[in-house]
Formats: sequence, structure tokens, C-alpha cells
Amino acid sequence: MCDWCDKYGDGYERWYFNPANYARRIYKIRREEAEASGAEANPQEAGGMSVIGREFLEALDSGDLEKVQEIKERAEATAWLTHFGQVVTLDEALKICDMIYPIGLMTCACRRSMRAMPDEENFVCMGMGPGMYKWERWPDTYRGGMHYITPDEAKEVITKLNKKGLVQTVATFGTPYLAGLCNCDYPDCAFIRTTIDLGVKALWKGHYVAKVDPELCTGCARCVARCQFKALSFSPSNNMAYIDQFQCFGCGLCVSECDQGAISLVDRASLPALANVW
Amino acid sequence: MLPTITVDDEKCGGAYFCRKCVVVCPTHVLGLGTSVGVQKYRETDPQYFVVRAVYLNKCSGCMDCVEVCPNNAIQVSFNEGSVT
Repeated sequence: MCDWCDKYGDGYERWYFNPANYARRIYKIRREEAEASGAEANPQEAGGMSVIGREFLEALDSGDLEKVQEIKERAEATAWLTHFGQVVTLDEALKICDMIYPIGLMTCACRRSMRAMPDEENFVCMGMGPGMYKWERWPDTYRGGMHYITPDEAKEVITKLNKKGLVQTVATFGTPYLAGLCNCDYPDCAFIRTTIDLGVKALWKGHYVAKVDPELCTGCARCVARCQFKALSFSPSNNMAYIDQFQCFGCGLCVSECDQGAISLVDRASLPALANVW
Repeated sequence: MLPTITVDDEKCGGAYFCRKCVVVCPTHVLGLGTSVGVQKYRETDPQYFVVRAVYLNKCSGCMDCVEVCPNNAIQVSFNEGSVT
């Protein structure tokens, strides 16, 4: 079972379907805890980029595995307590839009940072829940402003971004308080980059794993461009898509791109060797 | 091998709008940040935005950022002396 469902699921199928994890009560608790510990409860402070220092990159570069492990564990402990993400499927993201209010469309801090993306091109991120009412406390985090949108508008935006090729993720801001519904891609999403390139698990895999049906795959390779996790490649000798299921994050972007219906999502829990690969 | 990448903020002067080095980098090493941190109740003025190397481990040493900078503000060097 997913650690977070185990800890914060409270009987719901997934921890991010448990309404309590979006509730004002938890928002308040996590804010008070963070502020009591001396930290400003600003979401951006806890962002992925801050965990990567030169020290870590040097340890990686020189093969100092002990140090890598030590820094990695520290960074993950902080991320999991304050700000980390998990991949969800499009259907799951749409379901979340109906659970939580308000939803705010905002600019993506990762793309601002890694692409210097102008605000007007960068409204691809969503904030959810009571924190949205106080967005003006952190004008830099919400550069370009914040637009309250209806659940239907949110679904429309998410569906469009999914079509474009962006992966949906939920993010905590003071775990288990869930307040981010992001649309991410490699390499500019800090969650994905940190996880894939540096092995620091700021982003947890989702509850599914993609699988290719060799009878149905025609080798068109359209799915290959969809994978943001280096899990999907094209095998010329088999004339077929190949999915590394141990690397797959279960987002389903390849599934929706396949006209043949050759790729399906299977429940991670149904595969003994993958059930605990997050 | 990790490079040392330095940006002279005074020479740079306009990272928020210029963006050239950030966009040209083939491995997306550079990032935009602010020299004043994140401030409560205040939006940081564009003049305080600076470019810093983030994913040093992905720098190939191609020098595209150095060359694209109109103000000569970026230096990239590897251990055995400066490449530029």
C-alpha cells in the first residue's frame, strides 16, 4: 500500500480522495506548526530546488555514495513533511476538481524558475482549498495573479493540458494538507527533475502502471513523446513500444495517446514486485 | 566533472526580461531566482531577479550561455582552469 494512503487515507480508496486532507483544519495546523518551528509558511520556500546544493551534486559526481544517501534522506524527510507530490491520472485529477473548493489557476513556479517563463504563458498550475483565499500574502509565489475558476473550468484546463502532454500531480503544503494540483513535465518541473535525475523522491509514483499489449501495438511510436519519466521507449526490432514498468509513474499519458488501445493501466497493487515501488 | 558557473549580477542587469541564457541552455541547467528571497506581502521587483546555475551536474560545458549573454555576465569554468 502507498505510505500516504496508509497514513492519511482514513478508509478512502486514496489519500487524495479523503476530504480531510484538503480541510481548513489541517491547513491551520500545518501552518501553525511550521510557524512555531520558526519557518515562514510560504509554499515556495519548501520547493524542490532548495534541496539541491552543490554539496549533493559533488557527492553524486564523485561517487560518494554514503554522503549522497545521507543528504538524500535528509532532503526526502523534509520534502515529505512539507512539500512533495504524487502522480495522479487524468480521471483522478478531474475527480479532485469536484471535491475541493475554491480552485485557483496560477502561474507555475518551476517554469518561472527554470524557463524564466513570462507570466502570461505560464498559467498551468492550480492551487486548491482555503489557502487560496490568502494568496495575496505571497505575491511572488502567485506572480501574475490568481484566477478563481469553477470546477468545470478547472476540469477543462486540466484536460487540455493533459492532451498537450502534461502530467497531473497533487502536492502537499505541510503534509498531509493537499493544496496543489499541478500539470508537470520533464525537465522543468522540480519534482520530476529532482526525482528522475537526482534520485531524491520529491515525486511519488501513482497507483497505476502502464502495460503494452503486443497484439495491439502497431509501432506508431506516438506514445513515446508522451512519457515524462524516461520509462517509455521504442523498440525497432520488435516494432513496438517498450515500457519499463519499474520506471513507470502510472500517469496514463501514453494510454490516452494510443489510438489502438494497446496501452492500459493496471493497478500497481496487483503486481507483487511493483506494489511497493513508489 | 562539475563546472563553476558564475553570474555577475551587475553586468547581467535584466535576467527577468532577457531570459536568453536560461532558454539557450540545452540541458536546462540555469534557473531564475531573486537576490532578496521571497517576501511576504511584496512582489519582488524584476530588477532583483538573478540567474544561477542549479543543475550543475547537467552542464556539458558547451558555453552557449556565455556566448548568448549580451553583457558578458556569465563565466563557466571546469576544475583545470578556466575554459572561457
